[in-house]
Amino acid sequence: MSDVLEKIMDAIDIETYIVSKNEDEAEKFAMELMEKLGFKDISIVFIQHRGPGARVRARGYIYKPGDRYGWLFN
Amino acid sequence: MIDKKKVLLAPLDPVHDIGLKMIKRGLENKGHETILIPPDYSPEEIIKSIIDNDVDIVLVSRTLGYGVAEVLGKFIDLAEASGIRDKVKIGIGGMAVRPELAAELGFDAGFGPGTSVDEAVAFVEGREYVPAENRSKKNKKDITEGYDYLFHNKKIEKLLDSIVDGILDYVSDKTTTAIQRAQIRRQILESNSESEKQKLRRDYSKLCDDVIKSFYESGKYREKTRPMTNDEVDALNQYVDAVNSRMNPLYLQHVDKNPVVFIQYGTGCPFMDIAHIKSCEAWGADGAVHFDPSWGARTEGFLEGYITHEEDGSVITYENLKSIKKSLLPNTLWQVRAHRGLNTPETVLLAGKIGADLTKINIAYGSLGGGTDPERLTVDAVEAIKYAAEFNMPFDVVTNEELCGVPAYKAFAGMLIVSKLGLRLGAKPILQPLFCYSPEVMISGQMEDNYVDFNAAKIYCLRNIVNAPIWCGAPIGFLTQTEDRVQSSLMTSLQASLASSLGVDGISIASSDEAFSGGPITIPARIDTLRATQSSFRFFGQSNIVPTDNAHKWAKEIEEGIEAVLELVLKNGNFVNALYQGILGSKEDGAYPGRAGRDSVMKKIY
Repeated sequence: MSDVLEKIMDAIDIETYIVSKNEDEAEKFAMELMEKLGFKDISIVFIQHRGPGARVRARGYIYKPGDRYGWLFN
Repeated sequence: MIDKKKVLLAPLDPVHDIGLKMIKRGLENKGHETILIPPDYSPEEIIKSIIDNDVDIVLVSRTLGYGVAEVLGKFIDLAEASGIRDKVKIGIGGMAVRPELAAELGFDAGFGPGTSVDEAVAFVEGREYVPAENRSKKNKKDITEGYDYLFHNKKIEKLLDSIVDGILDYVSDKTTTAIQRAQIRRQILESNSESEKQKLRRDYSKLCDDVIKSFYESGKYREKTRPMTNDEVDALNQYVDAVNSRMNPLYLQHVDKNPVVFIQYGTGCPFMDIAHIKSCEAWGADGAVHFDPSWGARTEGFLEGYITHEEDGSVITYENLKSIKKSLLPNTLWQVRAHRGLNTPETVLLAGKIGADLTKINIAYGSLGGGTDPERLTVDAVEAIKYAAEFNMPFDVVTNEELCGVPAYKAFAGMLIVSKLGLRLGAKPILQPLFCYSPEVMISGQMEDNYVDFNAAKIYCLRNIVNAPIWCGAPIGFLTQTEDRVQSSLMTSLQASLASSLGVDGISIASSDEAFSGGPITIPARIDTLRATQSSFRFFGQSNIVPTDNAHKWAKEIEEGIEAVLELVLKNGNFVNALYQGILGSKEDGAYPGRAGRDSVMKKIY
């Protein structure tokens, strides 16, 4: 993990709009995107597909409660 | 004596000059001479105005973000070339400006969005900007202040008094291990002898469930909990000191009638809790509510030490609570909940000893929606309320059984019984109606048109009955929020403004992660709803949301329902039996008497 990620208190949300045929496809693309960005602990917090595509908020947790937080020690 | 300056105000923008007009008024009030030129001047024309008017200072504004760096860069180059740069101070501000950009381009100052008129005036006068004292210092508010608990509905008061007589009589010859543990805990906390403390711990562990007993006997931790290391504790202390030294909390309230705003924490880890609380304080939260784990409510006894937990809810120990309390700003209200479970007297004792401001107690909710046996919780709660009175901690009487399906009138009957019990025992109860899309209204349709009327009806009803503080919860907007953070924040903020419009004293708000169940709540999600609430308070100010006539009609119906329920409880002859029999919320409603602690009440031995 790079230093800057240690400064994230808990998670990084990526909000975007994915051109897609349906919600399942959008969710698949969103997961692929997060994996490509290097996130390990991924959740789709919100997804809504209408017509041309989907409004998506995907989350990559950096720290969860009980972890050893980088921001606490640096 | 401040030198009077001649100031040119120049909008380097096609249309926008509102900010400069506000600053013009502020400067003129301080006796400075101002010249405001119209929008849409070119950089060359502005430079000419500076020279022609022989001004001391120029304030340039820019709202449009497109091409801002190029336009401002050109302006400062022209200022250099024309020879005015050494004689005239130049500041820039506006929506498109960031202080870093101003510094990079060589301006004397840069004022970004949110800059106050006073800041710009301070720049002109060449002095350091100091925010007004009354806005930089927050005060801790007592939300029970000014309430005399006078009952306007005398019939209800009489019924409540009779029911409370029955409760006090019922518990008078009964005790529980929770009550005994609280007494031992008090001795441990007040003892100066380590050997005596060890003996007391042995006595304490005998009254606990095996999982707690094994901690005291062999140092074994419950699964998914672990002790924090010394370096973690040291790092936390340093983190809190560093954060507190640079805190300058925002205000959520725009007008005096806006209620105090609580957030709820309980990430599982006291350190993450503290990190969340500190950020919420910075973004304006007035109070924080401690959430303990659900397993803790089904377990007899508490652990000791700094303990973290991998699931929701932060473990109650003296040390965990103490570290959280120590981290709070002096103005932050802090509540430790004791509304359900097998450790309510000790919870309130610990909260009181550590200096919590508030606690939470409700026998009806705790036993019908919180999983604790009605008889056990009744006996424990009387003791817990006595501690709340002793430590001068007001307690809210939460009515979340509505979320199980219990109609508001039944939940309110239980709330009023426990409130009257609190008053009898010398404590200060706070009524806590829910602002929620409850199963009752889903079935009966009171919220088909709007989310306003039925919530307003609840407040009108309670105000008709008694002059008591009201803290809407918990959190407001339950089941109206979705996983979309914009929708979720909007719902929270509108309900906050409804609460304000109805004149309540406090609200608990959720994060925009409220409806997301896939992982822990994040701090940005908390800031979302704090910012939304602040904006909503700003939007409505002293104006009010006007409910339809249904609100008063339904308020009357709820009040009549409460009277009928209280009569039934009294006719039944026993509050505890009324809980078992469903008078305050039945199985058909969706409420089930809790099983934790069943048959654990003992006769007192004198």
